Amino acid sequence: MVDHVLRLKLTLLGSALRPGRGLLAALAVLVLAGAVGTAVIVLALAVDPSRADHRAAVVVAGAALALGIAVAPLSAGLGSALEPRRFAAFPLDPRRLAVSLAAAGAIGVPGALAVVLALGLVLAWADEPTSVAAIIAGVLAAVASILVSQYLVAIGALLAVSAAARRAVTGVARLIIVIVLTAVAVTVVSIIDGSASEALIGTAALLANTPMGMLWAVPGSDLAGLLARLLGGIVMVGVLAVGWVWVVARLLEAPQRTRTRTATIGLGWFDLVPATPAGVIAARSMLYWARDPRYRAVVLALPLAPVLMMLALAVAGSPLPPLWLLPLPVLALFLGWFAHNDAAYDHTALWVHVAAPLPGAADRWGRCVPPLLLGLLLLPPAPLFALWSGVDGVLPALLGITLGLLLTGLGVSSIASALGAYPAARPGAGPFDQPPTLGSRAGWTQALSLLATLALMAPALVAALWGVTEPAWFVVAGIAGVGTGIGMLLLGIVVGGRVFRARAPELLDLAQRS
Amino acid sequence: MLEVDGLRKAFGRATAVDDVQLSVRQGSVFGFVGPNGAGKTTTLSMVAGLLRPDAGTVRVTGIDVWAEPARAKSRIGVLPDRMRLFDRLTGAQMLYYTAVLHGLDRTTAVARADDLAVALGLDGSLERPVRDYSVGMVKKISLAAALVHSPAVLVLDEPFESVDPVSTAQAVDLLRRYAAAGGTVVLSSHNMDLVERVCDTVAVIVGGRILADGTIDEVRDGRSLEERFVELAGGRVAVEGLEWLTTFSA
Repeated sequence: MVDHVLRLKLTLLGSALRPGRGLLAALAVLVLAGAVGTAVIVLALAVDPSRADHRAAVVVAGAALALGIAVAPLSAGLGSALEPRRFAAFPLDPRRLAVSLAAAGAIGVPGALAVVLALGLVLAWADEPTSVAAIIAGVLAAVASILVSQYLVAIGALLAVSAAARRAVTGVARLIIVIVLTAVAVTVVSIIDGSASEALIGTAALLANTPMGMLWAVPGSDLAGLLARLLGGIVMVGVLAVGWVWVVARLLEAPQRTRTRTATIGLGWFDLVPATPAGVIAARSMLYWARDPRYRAVVLALPLAPVLMMLALAVAGSPLPPLWLLPLPVLALFLGWFAHNDAAYDHTALWVHVAAPLPGAADRWGRCVPPLLLGLLLLPPAPLFALWSGVDGVLPALLGITLGLLLTGLGVSSIASALGAYPAARPGAGPFDQPPTLGSRAGWTQALSLLATLALMAPALVAALWGVTEPAWFVVAGIAGVGTGIGMLLLGIVVGGRVFRARAPELLDLAQRS
Repeated sequence: MLEVDGLRKAFGRATAVDDVQLSVRQGSVFGFVGPNGAGKTTTLSMVAGLLRPDAGTVRVTGIDVWAEPARAKSRIGVLPDRMRLFDRLTGAQMLYYTAVLHGLDRTTAVARADDLAVALGLDGSLERPVRDYSVGMVKKISLAAALVHSPAVLVLDEPFESVDPVSTAQAVDLLRRYAAAGGTVVLSSHNMDLVERVCDTVAVIVGGRILADGTIDEVRDGRSLEERFVELAGGRVAVEGLEWLTTFSA
């Protein structure tokens, strides 16, 4: 059984190297993997375990690369991925299949890199008294990475129900690999030129207490920490292994689980909202945010924006803690801004709204509800981010600015989607599909709605900046943010509603042409 | 009941609808026929308040559609041709959605959706998303959505295209009953037999102009409606130059 699956895996690997269209890509992947592997060994040999910043770098780079290895199978696309559901048609024992799949996962580029990475940890600590612990930790970490990668392949295969979704999964995986490699490069550079070692040690200390980083920190810990982390690693690998067998068994028993929800009994969301135009439009809107790939992709990709921003600023040398103030406002800004072309997303189905005698404001309100609910989720974690930032008394400003950017953005979008609508991808199209003609209007609407939001929020933002020197301003910024937000949302809905009512036939006309 | 006066629409240089005049009395079924691209859909979209005319007025129960759109639209039921629906909604959700947008309350909306589903043979399909429907079923759910708020005037663009004969007969019965009770129906179709059977009055539009209108008997002028229609549309063009089509390849 095991050797059957392994033979299948080897055949798949061999076919990637056969002459053809994929060969170049396969060679490029091999070269990249070879370069990463070589770099790991060279850097590991250069590590001086007596230096705190070197120890920290091992933890950060190890954790980052392990994450990269875990998502690596997804980045190759799911076309020939060995995922449990494919074996559902055969009468197999789930436990043996789970073992086979995990073993097959260890063969190939990610598996080889996991071994190299573990070897790197061992080499880095070779001459130290904790070298034995390093060997155990390395093995555990490699096994954990491979197991996690198997989970991700199974999850990815469940998500990838359409060609567009498959592309999205692959794209996200590749993006994570780029981010991981950038993070490692930044770590190495900061070690070489001696900058940012404080931040690095802080990050490493944080990671060392999470499942991601604890194994890489094993050889550098004192005896108690070392034993605790090794034990944690053993428990983690054990849980992952047992969980993997369970997941495989579940997937084999119910291979069609994602397809069961084709029929909705009753009215679904519509039973939960008031029977008013705004209520049903909100329910319909939520259904589309949840099911339509165009919305879903944005919801999934949005969290990457602040990560990339923080990374870029960290690379540029800005100290890490204050950067924790960025993610929530940035997310709120983009969430509010994203609704700026919502009417065009309906395509010609907009006629249902045009043909009904509904108030324009009802249409606007309904469309605001899903981003508003999503945006409210940003508020509970705010105290945590304020704490990490290390800036005293910043919480009111963080809350107020986040809420203000979201509400102002939605207000501006309510007007923009009626006034400056531009062709959008059709319903059911992939998240990356674009309409044939975009026109210059798209750029104007996108830029102006973003700028308008920032301009309207400028007083609150400036007050928040002043707060850095005079914390009393943080409270002012918070109140100003919330006030601006509520005012602009109400104004946007009223004005946007009127514009929508007046321009509804033109919006429908635009949809028909695109 | 429905008065259209001097309606005009141009797309760029091409005039799609030119000075169209129509009058449909209450309780009648009005058929709108014309060759492809004659301006039927453009006219009906302007009548229903979906496409802004360049000139002219549309009055429904005395209300100007383009001056008081909200008041007028609560009196109109529309079935547009070639427009999407929110097709991730199930049939039941779709009907409920349009009903509430037209101001119905929850119990009325649900009850009417069920009634229409039975009348149009859609019961059993209401729990499935509209995107899984066939073309004919989409027409039926659209007709149900147009009827759900009991409008005074129905504007139906190609309501029977791709609909099976049984469902067509059911829908025709429903429309006749609706008209007998005082409702007004405007529909366009390519099916002349059906128009002859269903409609009281008819207008022929060619190249954006109305060439004939009146009762069925007036318009067909002693012949079948189909013959009269072909004649008005420019007659049959003699097929020439296709001799190769009579020599069959081996």
